[in-house]
Formats: sequence, structure tokens, C-alpha cells
Amino acid sequence: MIHALRAAGLCAALLAAALPAAAQTDQGMSPAILSKLATRGDLKSVRVAEIRMARRNDMLVVEADFQNPERRDRFVYYRFRWLDGGGMQVGDGESWKQMPLLGQQLQPVKAVAPSPAAADFRLEFNVE
Amino acid sequence: MKASVLTAARRLPLCTLAAATLLAAAGCNTVSSPVVRFDRQTTNYGDAKAVELVTNEFGSTDLQMIAEKMTGSLLEAGIFQGRPTVTISTVKNKTSEYIDTTNVMNSIQTALVKSGKVRFTRSIQEMQAGVDELTRQNQSGLYKQNTTAKVGQMTAARYSVEGELTSIVKQNAATKDVYYKFTLKLFDVEEGTIEWQDEKEIRKTTQR
Repeated sequence: MIHALRAAGLCAALLAAALPAAAQTDQGMSPAILSKLATRGDLKSVRVAEIRMARRNDMLVVEADFQNPERRDRFVYYRFRWLDGGGMQVGDGESWKQMPLLGQQLQPVKAVAPSPAAADFRLEFNVE
Repeated sequence: MKASVLTAARRLPLCTLAAATLLAAAGCNTVSSPVVRFDRQTTNYGDAKAVELVTNEFGSTDLQMIAEKMTGSLLEAGIFQGRPTVTISTVKNKTSEYIDTTNVMNSIQTALVKSGKVRFTRSIQEMQAGVDELTRQNQSGLYKQNTTAKVGQMTAARYSVEGELTSIVKQNAATKDVYYKFTLKLFDVEEGTIEWQDEKEIRKTTQR
């Protein structure tokens, strides 16, 4: 009986520890923004605060604001992946970029689709 | 003492057998990859789009970032209405490094052609091969008259693209800082006016 109580207590503690961790992975980002992201690993509190999208001269233009709420400087590695109406990748894929993100800085990044066929995108990134 | 030696001797083949079984099982689980290489050789293919940070000299990531920025800016500007013709003119390398700037222009040209928004004509460097082929078709007497490409039917470029790459290098005992600037201009050939211009700046700093 005591063992069962102890085990239950441990499970509750683990769940309590896991819940904030799960919530932290979202970094308070909206579901609309999260649906456009493909992230890897611990984002170290770095979040995408806003994404703007427009079609200019038939080309999809995207601007995303990276935000580092902490004081410590970070490096963000990112690229945009362009998708056509059927979800297939357009082109060979962009090159990865390294961007320094200073403590408490908001840094916009911009990209233009390589072809009018691009209808959607994913922003891939990880933080060092 | 004698009994324990005997027991140890009996156990030894048993251990050997177990070890052999484990090794065989491990061997069975290892699937060969379709590669040809010597043992312990560590050559592998990598991501051609990865951020290259081997040194702070001009590298593949710089080339890719310049090409993407220029292509995106050109396409976003909407200058290419009605698929106009464009030719590549000069690309000057004003840095202290040896850089094949033609490669940068090739990447920009490839991306623009794939966008379907523009048609490229032969550049000055590519013209001789085109003239040779026209001469071969029209003067060798080898081809049927109605299948040869006619001389004097090439489409001239409406725009020409000119670029230059410059750098500023600062160095002390602990730090080397390189600043690159790539400038690209689109000229209207007939009017001689600049119809579009953009630049890409890159800073690379190495701490020892």
C-alpha cells in the first residue's frame, strides 16, 4: 500500500515536471505560427513572435520575427522550405543560414519564394 | 583448489561459445551499406546547403546566400513582366581572394530561369559556341536546308546584369573580421538606365 502511494506520488511529480516542459516547447506561440514551424531540439526560449505573408508580383513573400526573450545571446540556424498547393517541395530547398540573435532582441528574417508555384512554406530552425 | 580449477576449465568453453554467439548475432544485425571504401576511412556525403564555417574566407554559404537574396529581390520587384530577355555581363571580383564570381551569377541565372519569369540570352562568354554551331549548320553542307537554324534570328537582350564583389578585411592578434558586399545592377540595354539594383552584405568574424 505504501509502495503504491509512493509510486503514485512519483508519477504525479514526473507529470508535473513534464507538463511545464511540454508547454515550454510552444514558447507561447500561437497555433497558426506553430503550424508553419519545423523545429529541432531545445529552442532555448527563442520564439517566432510573428509571421507576415504576402504575394507580391506573383511571388510568395514571408517575413518572420525571431525573438530572444533571454539575456544570453544565441545563434539561430534557419531556412524556409517552400511548398506547392499539393504540399510538394518547390525547388531544391534553400541554404541554411546562421543568424546571431542578441539577448532580448527581435530580429526579422525575410524570404521570397523561388517560383510562383510556391503556395505555402515551413520555417525550419534550431537554436544554439 | 583442484575442483575450482576444473570448474573454471569447464566454464571457459561455455564463455567462449556465448561470446561467439553474441558476435554472430551482432554480425547478423549489421546490414551492409551500398558503399565502396577502405576500413576506417571517414569520407561521407554532407548537406550541400549546410552552413559552412570552416574558415572565414568566401565559401559555399556566402555564394548561396547572395544568390538567394538577389533572386528573391529581382522576383519580388516585378521587373520581369512579360518574360523579358536578359544577359549576364561582367562580374568583378574586387576582393583580395580568388573567387569564381561566374559561379555566383550561374546560381542567380539558374534560379531565375527556374522561376519561369525571364529568358536569358547568350552572354559574351557563351556567344562563340553559338556562332560556331550556326556556322556548322549553315556552312558545312551537312544539313537539310529546312532544318538549319537561320543566321540573324537571335533575340537581343533587353536587360543586362552587372555585378561586383568587394571586401573589407580587419585583423588583429585575436580577431579577423571580413565584410563582403555584393552589388548587382540590372541595366536597360537600349536606354542605359539602371532599372533595379540591390546588394547583399555579409560579415564573418573569427576569434582565435
